[in-house]
Amino acid sequence: MTVLGMPLEMFLVFVATILAGSIGAIHYVIVHIILGRPIEEPLTDQTAAGRPVENE
Amino acid sequence: MSEVNPFYLATFVIYLTIILLIGGWAYLKTNTVDDFWVYGKDLGPTLATWSFVANFVSSVSVIGFIGAVYADGYSIMTGVIFGLMLGIGCLYFVIDKVRNIDKFTLPDIIAEVTGSQRARPIAGVVLLANAWIYLIMQLTGAGLLVTTITGVPYEYMIWVIGGVFIIYTVLGGLVSVAWTDLLQGTLMVVMITLALAYMILDIGGIAATNAQFAAINPGLVAPLGDGVYTVIGAIAGIIAFFGTVFTEQNNIVRISATDSVKTAKIHIAAAGVILSIMYALLILLGGATTVALYNAGLNVENVDLAFPVLITEYLPTTVGIFIILAILSGILSTTDTRLHSCGITTARDIYDYFDPNASDQRLMNISRVSTIFFGITATAIAVDPPGTILELYAWRAVLLTSAFLLPVYLALYKRDIPGEAIVLSIIAGAVLGMGWDLLEAPLGFPAVFVGLSAAALALAIGNVAWGSSPAPTPTAD
Repeated sequence: MTVLGMPLEMFLVFVATILAGSIGAIHYVIVHIILGRPIEEPLTDQTAAGRPVENE
Repeated sequence: MSEVNPFYLATFVIYLTIILLIGGWAYLKTNTVDDFWVYGKDLGPTLATWSFVANFVSSVSVIGFIGAVYADGYSIMTGVIFGLMLGIGCLYFVIDKVRNIDKFTLPDIIAEVTGSQRARPIAGVVLLANAWIYLIMQLTGAGLLVTTITGVPYEYMIWVIGGVFIIYTVLGGLVSVAWTDLLQGTLMVVMITLALAYMILDIGGIAATNAQFAAINPGLVAPLGDGVYTVIGAIAGIIAFFGTVFTEQNNIVRISATDSVKTAKIHIAAAGVILSIMYALLILLGGATTVALYNAGLNVENVDLAFPVLITEYLPTTVGIFIILAILSGILSTTDTRLHSCGITTARDIYDYFDPNASDQRLMNISRVSTIFFGITATAIAVDPPGTILELYAWRAVLLTSAFLLPVYLALYKRDIPGEAIVLSIIAGAVLGMGWDLLEAPLGFPAVFVGLSAAALALAIGNVAWGSSPAPTPTAD
């Protein structure tokens, strides 16, 4: 059996690859958009150079 | 030497000029070392997503992968690309862990989980070697392509490309890199889609293209190719490339550079969708390229030249210009990111360890000087590069995954693992993984399995030996 001119197994590898790359997007849509679960934002207390963040 | 094509050459010159102008503008926006390294930790979702996409697609992708399809068919989808895409999909789930420990580079994270600052320069050297090798690969691909399509000799072209990307990366750091990535990423995705559409229409439809591809050799459309992969070999490839996504310095830096955890999640999630679809299209483009060259009687000795030959010998110039833009975008966006990583790793992970009181201005200067140094040396090596693009690509995948994947990410989730055990595991994975690879994987046992097994064993032994030690606490040394 062929799909788009290639064997079914090869076609499934293409589908699996797209699904694998989309795992994060699927999770984000279901958990954070549909279910509305908030994303925790930790406080940053240092700069990229590892120095403490100065309070304004 | 082929004749100089004025249209392709003009396209190339205009493209580089625009990129340099963005670099000049970014220089004016770069005031602090945080700006230079992590965009002031203010990357929004659009910029972050396209920067990730553009950085991910490289000369390996557009030239190496299409060359691999030309030689071995669609099996590269199984042995390499599936692992990469799975890696991006799963990277999404460790974003919280990475952001929660408030660190900015992979060596920073390793120092945190091992409790030893000494791990920073050690891991930094490994990552520096990886980024530098990647730079050489990118420059080789870029030089090969641009020389073939413009007709300008390789030894001159490589220095032109090297010079341009060094200048704009040095000028604006991640500000330059992110904004040029936005331009390059969108161009690349659009142009590759258009190129595939043209080729598919030219050949007579997607099913006809694949049918003709299979008619050349049925193994070209088999998941494991015509003996290209064994099942165990494919699994090893998937694991090795899966691991690189987690252990590339630039991916960790981008997660740190986003303005929030929400943006970090969105950019990885969106980039995963864009990249997985784009890679599927790219591999189909490889099949169409092979069919077109085969039908036209054009045989290519060096598989890395399959796509450049298609552009120069098969496509009309107008279509070729679009494809050149896509390829240049892919190559330069990855090159600047790796060069930027070299600068960060040298200044933040290595220099800062030996001079912890260095001012931010000094760290930025060290980043810029090291960016120039590693850029120039990579360009010099690329004039006469060792191995094909894909060989170098696989080599560094084994190194990164064997050394870092298991100990670092396990330690992120299980913080009571002794730091000494993690260091032992990193060393064992790196040495045995690379050693096995250099011995050309005796007994048919893939190097990444040996590296990961060694890392796991060392972790278990270290856990028993130092298991009574208290949980790691970062030292101030």
